[in-house]
Amino acid sequence: MNEQSKIAALNADSEPVAFNAALAEPFNVLIVGVGGQGVIMVSKVLAALAQAHGFEVKQSEVHGMAKRGGAVFSHVRFGQRVWSPTIAKGEADVLIALEWAEGLRWLPHLKRDTGVFICDTKRIVPPFACLNRKLGAKMRYSTETAEQVSAYVSEAYAIDATRMAEELGNDRAANVVLLGALSTVLEFSLPEWEKTVTSFVPKKTIAVNTAAFELGRNWIVEAKTATPADDAAAKAAPVHAHYSARLEITDAWCKSCEICVKLCPERCLTLNADRIATMTAPEKCTGCRLCEWLCPDFAIRVHLDTEAAVMEAAR
Amino acid sequence: MNAIDRSHHKPAAKLLSGNAACAQGAIDAGCTFFAGYPITPSSEIAERLSSLLPKAGGVFIQMEDEIAAMAAVVGASMGGVKALTATSGPGFSLKQENIGYAAGAEIPCVIVNVMRGGPSTGMPTRPSQADIFQTRYGSHGDYPIIVLVPASAREIYDETLRAFDLAEICRTPVILLYDQVIAQSSETVALGGRPPAHATRKWASGPRESYKPYAAGDDLVPAMPRPGDGYRTHTTGLTHSESGFPSQDPETVTRNLGRLYAKLEKHRDLIDSYEAVRCEDAELVIVAIGISARAARRAVDACRAEGHKVGLFRPITLWPFPEIALREATKSAKTILVPELNIGQLRLEIERLLRDRRVEGLHLISGEPITPAQIAAAATKLATEV
Amino acid sequence: MFRDAPHFDVRDYLRKEMMPHFLCPGCGHGMALRALLWALHELKIDRDKLAVVSGIGCAGRLSAYIDANTFHTTHGRPLAYATGLALARPDLHVVVITGDGDCLAIGGNHLIHACRRNLKLTCLMLNNEIYGMTGGQVSPTTSETRLTTTTPHGNTEPNFDACALATAAGAGFVGREVTRHVPKMKELIKDGLQHPGFAFIEVLSDCTEVYGRKNDMGSSSEMVLRQKSEMRPSAYRDSVDEPFRSTDLPTGILARNHRPEYGAALRAAAAARAAK
Repeated sequence: MNEQSKIAALNADSEPVAFNAALAEPFNVLIVGVGGQGVIMVSKVLAALAQAHGFEVKQSEVHGMAKRGGAVFSHVRFGQRVWSPTIAKGEADVLIALEWAEGLRWLPHLKRDTGVFICDTKRIVPPFACLNRKLGAKMRYSTETAEQVSAYVSEAYAIDATRMAEELGNDRAANVVLLGALSTVLEFSLPEWEKTVTSFVPKKTIAVNTAAFELGRNWIVEAKTATPADDAAAKAAPVHAHYSARLEITDAWCKSCEICVKLCPERCLTLNADRIATMTAPEKCTGCRLCEWLCPDFAIRVHLDTEAAVMEAAR
Repeated sequence: MNAIDRSHHKPAAKLLSGNAACAQGAIDAGCTFFAGYPITPSSEIAERLSSLLPKAGGVFIQMEDEIAAMAAVVGASMGGVKALTATSGPGFSLKQENIGYAAGAEIPCVIVNVMRGGPSTGMPTRPSQADIFQTRYGSHGDYPIIVLVPASAREIYDETLRAFDLAEICRTPVILLYDQVIAQSSETVALGGRPPAHATRKWASGPRESYKPYAAGDDLVPAMPRPGDGYRTHTTGLTHSESGFPSQDPETVTRNLGRLYAKLEKHRDLIDSYEAVRCEDAELVIVAIGISARAARRAVDACRAEGHKVGLFRPITLWPFPEIALREATKSAKTILVPELNIGQLRLEIERLLRDRRVEGLHLISGEPITPAQIAAAATKLATEV
Repeated sequence: MFRDAPHFDVRDYLRKEMMPHFLCPGCGHGMALRALLWALHELKIDRDKLAVVSGIGCAGRLSAYIDANTFHTTHGRPLAYATGLALARPDLHVVVITGDGDCLAIGGNHLIHACRRNLKLTCLMLNNEIYGMTGGQVSPTTSETRLTTTTPHGNTEPNFDACALATAAGAGFVGREVTRHVPKMKELIKDGLQHPGFAFIEVLSDCTEVYGRKNDMGSSSEMVLRQKSEMRPSAYRDSVDEPFRSTDLPTGILARNHRPEYGAALRAAAAARAAK
């Protein structure tokens, strides 16, 4: 079980959400993530399940505008009668997120007192979050810790679903791990879940997806009974290792073609008086390795040293 | 040194063509790779081996052209197996560049050239002996090579075995040269159970760091690196130093090319092979190879019956030419007659070797084999002139 | 991420005693060689079991720099040598490095038959549109109108699309990449190396000193940046309909099929016959 999982138990005291027999008020599930993760598939499974159970269902989604990697969300509402297709702020009974920052972005939509938050700890950092190309520079990606999140939400589960799916041999099954987790908070019977999930996944992947579903379900069951451990690693803010790039240039192999000089994005190389490539602006180097890859003469080698190694070398 | 002893070899009679005997010889020599291209009159070798080799755990492949067939054979041998190709004149011409590569990079392999009438497409179904110099000097540049010229189906079998042995021992291409008549006529051949393949290649051993792929010991034949054994060497057709890497250093080039020649000289006792018939007191010696030598053998007896002192010297190894044996066999001879199916090739070599004798040729370029009567008549004429 | 693991060091796979290599300044072949070695590294291919067979020309000389079992063969014939080697030694991983002249002109027959036969070989054809080593003569891939030492008034012959040729001849795997995209090239070569059959990969490489100078194509770095738009078979030049379709040459995996591998089929047939 992964390290961050333990925080899941922090507020894990409630029973599965009991459906009011009639569900006079619609039940609201918000599913979020980024393009390519399977948000739509999760919402379709849920919608089909509720429909088969006899509820009226409304599902609305935003996709298509979200290319692979862009934000995607889907609202699923079901009950005796459902009027509005979307979930208002503070009205979601369950928020299920396939990506960590997307989950945090949608937290205000969750019911403050009773909402359940199930979130994959998978971090997909969008390119525009990298404002500074320097190695080890901070990214503009959410810095909230799991502990801060759990203080805000009544019931939260941070599950490393992507890794669990990877270990099963198919990282695309992460969304089904989350469906397994979701199954512990909704009152549909297991056979209903199984029938619907298997009808939505490709035939060849039924075995792996069934395993993924069980893994997610068992993980929540286990997390609910576990005592909150003081997992320091999980609580700590993510550590950014600091790197510095260093170029090793084999003078004898350099043939002065200037490819590295002209194509370095930071312009940190020049030819010296002997027309040998030389690093003249080391502070600008981001360690992107373009010079190493494009040097036809194998004369450049980029070393990425950690801060500790740099200190050691200086000493 | 690997002496080749097949005395235990128990014969059993079979009707075989020369080409069939060659295919059987290849199998018995431990050849496990054949690449070829269809060409008359050598195709029977490929046809036979396409059936025999897979059964023996080997590989048969018909390539897209003659050049590719030669290249595949050298490639297979670089991988460590005994490899063979067979062809005839036009195909042999195409193979020359890669034969030169095998000679220069010292890759063992055996090439069969069944001679047919030429030039160009010539007479595909007619015999000839006009590739004597092409086998020796066909590829560009200076290089030594071994050429064997068997004269019967039985001898083709034996010489095929010997060709593989010499190729492996000397790390050189070996050419088996015979003509259309003996290739395609069937003879009763006494073959035995399979003799074990005698010569095995000398493989590199010892530490990688100190290994030099073209550094040779006393026998002047360097141990060959087998891919997979960890030596990770370079093989090139460029002139190279002992390290295997290209070099144009004048001393290195001279030393290594010189060694190629010297290594064959060093193995002359294994390489040289010939037959001398009634030469002891011969005043006229007929020098001939292949089908012409078989006709000459009968002519010798005919001339002897007439009272002429005639003998026959038949090289079985054509190149390098067994010159010491030739000088020995022609000690008492004043005149040499060279009957051959070309316009004068072997005669040139005999003239070069025996400058103080009268050397006459009997050359037939009609696409027919030379007859014993033709040789006997020429020999009688020369013998009476003396 | 590469930051966590030590990054591939190409020098571990070079024969350092042979360096610096003999290629001209800016020659793209060095980048292609890096991509090949990187791919071999990532696939953890045992160098003792790796055989690199090359032909003649600038591309042919690359084998000498690779720390493996290397064979620098005759002009145009590396595929034929490799066919013999791979059939004799199925335990070896055989890679062929060849150039546009070596592979498509003098060795064209071997290429189409290697594609047809589908023996497991990885053929890396470095296409720089020129016979560089002999001084810059026109090759089967030289673009039309280009100046070479044998087309002093501009090339008038149409050129080959090598990938289309290989696909038509039945190659199991066909791909193309430019040297500018070294990591992509590495990934493509990896795919080719893993293909269970004949894999043909064309790499568009720059001849800076001969072709570039003769045709006023700018510095090495400028040539690298223009590879996809400047170098293409005439079939693509004629089909330009900007802005709706890119004039860039298609790259990546262009064809893939899973016909039976020749060596395995040959051995299976032999085993079946031996069992009778």
